[in-house]
Amino acid sequence: MTGAPTSPVVFADFVAGDRAVLTRVAVRLQTEGVELSLPDEQMLIWPWADVRAEPDQADTETLVISRSGDRLSRLYLRDKTLQSQLRARAPRLGKRDRVITFPKLMAWAGGAVVSVAAIIFVLVPMMAAQLAVMLPPEGEKALGDTTFEQIRMALDETGLVGTPICDAPAGTAAMQAMYDKLNPASDLPYDVQIHILDHDMVNAFALPGGRVVFFRGLIEQAENAEEIAAVLAHEIGHVVNRDPTRDALRSAGSLGVLGLLFGDFAGGTIALFLANQLINASYSQSAEAAADVYAHELLDKAGVSPAALGTMFERLLAEHGDAEGIVAHFMSHPQMGKRIAAAQDAVVEGRSYGAVLEPEAWRSLQTVCQNGAAVQPDTNLPDKKAWPDGD
Amino acid sequence: MPLTDLNIMYSGRKGPMLGLALRTGLLTILTLGFYRFWAKTRLRRYYWSAIRPGGIPLEYVGDPLEKLLGFLVAVVFMAFYIGVVNLILMYISFAWLQGNVAAYLLSLAGLAPIIFFAQYRARRYILARTRWRGIRFGLEPGAWGYAWRAMVHWGLAIATLGLAWPLTTLWLEKYKTNHTYFGNQQFVQGGRRGMLFGSMKHVYYPLVLSAVAGGMAAAFDNPAWLAAFLLTVPWGIYGLAYWRADSFKRLTEAKELGDMRFRTTPRPWTIIGIYALGWFLIYLVFTGLVLVATGLVLAAVGGGGGSFDLENPDQIEAMMAAGAPIMILIYFAIFLSYRAMTHAWITLPITAHFAEVTRIVNADDLHQITQRDRDEFAEAEGFAEALDVGAAI
Repeated sequence: MTGAPTSPVVFADFVAGDRAVLTRVAVRLQTEGVELSLPDEQMLIWPWADVRAEPDQADTETLVISRSGDRLSRLYLRDKTLQSQLRARAPRLGKRDRVITFPKLMAWAGGAVVSVAAIIFVLVPMMAAQLAVMLPPEGEKALGDTTFEQIRMALDETGLVGTPICDAPAGTAAMQAMYDKLNPASDLPYDVQIHILDHDMVNAFALPGGRVVFFRGLIEQAENAEEIAAVLAHEIGHVVNRDPTRDALRSAGSLGVLGLLFGDFAGGTIALFLANQLINASYSQSAEAAADVYAHELLDKAGVSPAALGTMFERLLAEHGDAEGIVAHFMSHPQMGKRIAAAQDAVVEGRSYGAVLEPEAWRSLQTVCQNGAAVQPDTNLPDKKAWPDGD
Repeated sequence: MPLTDLNIMYSGRKGPMLGLALRTGLLTILTLGFYRFWAKTRLRRYYWSAIRPGGIPLEYVGDPLEKLLGFLVAVVFMAFYIGVVNLILMYISFAWLQGNVAAYLLSLAGLAPIIFFAQYRARRYILARTRWRGIRFGLEPGAWGYAWRAMVHWGLAIATLGLAWPLTTLWLEKYKTNHTYFGNQQFVQGGRRGMLFGSMKHVYYPLVLSAVAGGMAAAFDNPAWLAAFLLTVPWGIYGLAYWRADSFKRLTEAKELGDMRFRTTPRPWTIIGIYALGWFLIYLVFTGLVLVATGLVLAAVGGGGGSFDLENPDQIEAMMAAGAPIMILIYFAIFLSYRAMTHAWITLPITAHFAEVTRIVNADDLHQITQRDRDEFAEAEGFAEALDVGAAI
């Protein structure tokens, strides 16, 4: 043997990766690298820069060594002294060989983004628009029933019973009278069902199958019945144009894709998401404009000034400078001013418009949520002094 | 030098696994899920290298970037399927069936072949990236063949309310094993059709007993029947552990790799013990955390002075708003620590038990097994990842 060995010889198990056989090799650390002497007198030198250690190994007694560029060969080193010497001398033990090239990864990442975008923004909306028109009225109704219950559950803070429906008989009758006066029946394959939910939100929305939902907050904010009629006419416009149905179908498709991306594939959160999506339904600007145009005509036919739609938005905007509820929804539309103007333009010159409800009926509508609650004083509140001899 | 028998040694330890799972889990959360490909790879490296047949560790050589790429590939295809199929199923269910449950069941049925397909492909990827003694394992292509067989066999199991599950297990295991290779040597799964029914006996007995005892308890007012009925619950639990141990034993001992055979003796009570201890430890940790958290909240509320009034809804709302980020943090902390503890205290000891009781016998011809070609497989386990049906680790 020539040349002074830089370390003593240690024996270790070695696999070359051609047959499932273990080879005993003599290992020696040389100046240029790790030297392996195979039993058949063959000599391998693994240069220091190429020596790698396999990471995350459970067995702390053994160091598994490989050589960069050689995917198969492994050296199982158990000698502690040699292990520490080798760790000290090999500069790139922890470096990994890259199997995937960066451009390839980027190409597929781009492909994934394009494909998801095309499906969410082009394919699914197109199919939803097509299918919404084809869906039979009973199907739409079933869809509306399901989503209505989901929304009631989602809005209730306890999540157990669902937001209460306001159904004081006089108020409900007033709402029905308003609907009858607008009389859109000829445009619809089904009757519109109007619900008022006992919730502070200043909002109203339409659901598939002809359900229109008002929140108490909106009715309380309105100054007169005509403004409510205007909102109702607008929502009926969405129903007539099948906007809610299209939106529900579209959400079903695109939420599935989003769930796929974020890993929550079969999660129940999707249902909640769907409900949420419908409440904050943001239809396209053209859909909003179409519903506005429909509302103008309906109001005009019913002898109610179409300008009411504009004043409703205008006043809400002025009163609530902060972004919440319906205001936020409409403020997100850059053409808000245009829509208010359009409502005023829809007023036919020289036509005299009247009230949509008698004053008495309008009062009943505004108190539709006080069924029972207003009659008996709430004895639970401490500051009410329910007991005359209390102090 | 004849090898004859090779014992399987196990060198995984709970502490390092807990640390690794916590670290990789934390990184996964911090990177919004992006690191999960790296996390999975690292956990697998640890689990694989812990198993050492004849002293030489298995090696997992899967690459995180390759998994990321596979996921992207799967997204390109799956986005179309999920988006369009979901939409059409929703349409059909409301147009014809007027109900949501139908859509859900239909979409599950529509997904079933894809799920089985994805599981087989994931298995192929994992085996292709597993080595022992420098030799690659491999699984022959055949995912669609597996998917339709799995549909049929699962259908049978569901139709018999799970009673035919042993048959389903055996058939699917045969398909998978008979497509598996170590180097150039093919695995063979032996065993006759009825082989696994015996492993299920401690599930069948308590089922029958509970039916009889339940019926009798309902009909007659005798507490003895009620006691017998309650007794079937622990018996059923033992039955599940027995099934796990005994079906593994019967399947493993009927596997062949050339002249090599396998012997194994897993113990149902050890399995029950591991689960009981693991869950007890997890329960202890969470109870401790809840106590600490309650203490902190009480201290914070008390420290706020007399200004805090539980009766005041505005204050509660304000507190909830301030607490929202903390709640999200707690949610992630629970999720992360639960995952890590399950790895360290359940998955790892279970793997250790099954490994340590298993032996390779008649291994004299091991050295004749030669290398197989690398299975490039660009899609990796992307479909399983996208569908979230991959292996637990």
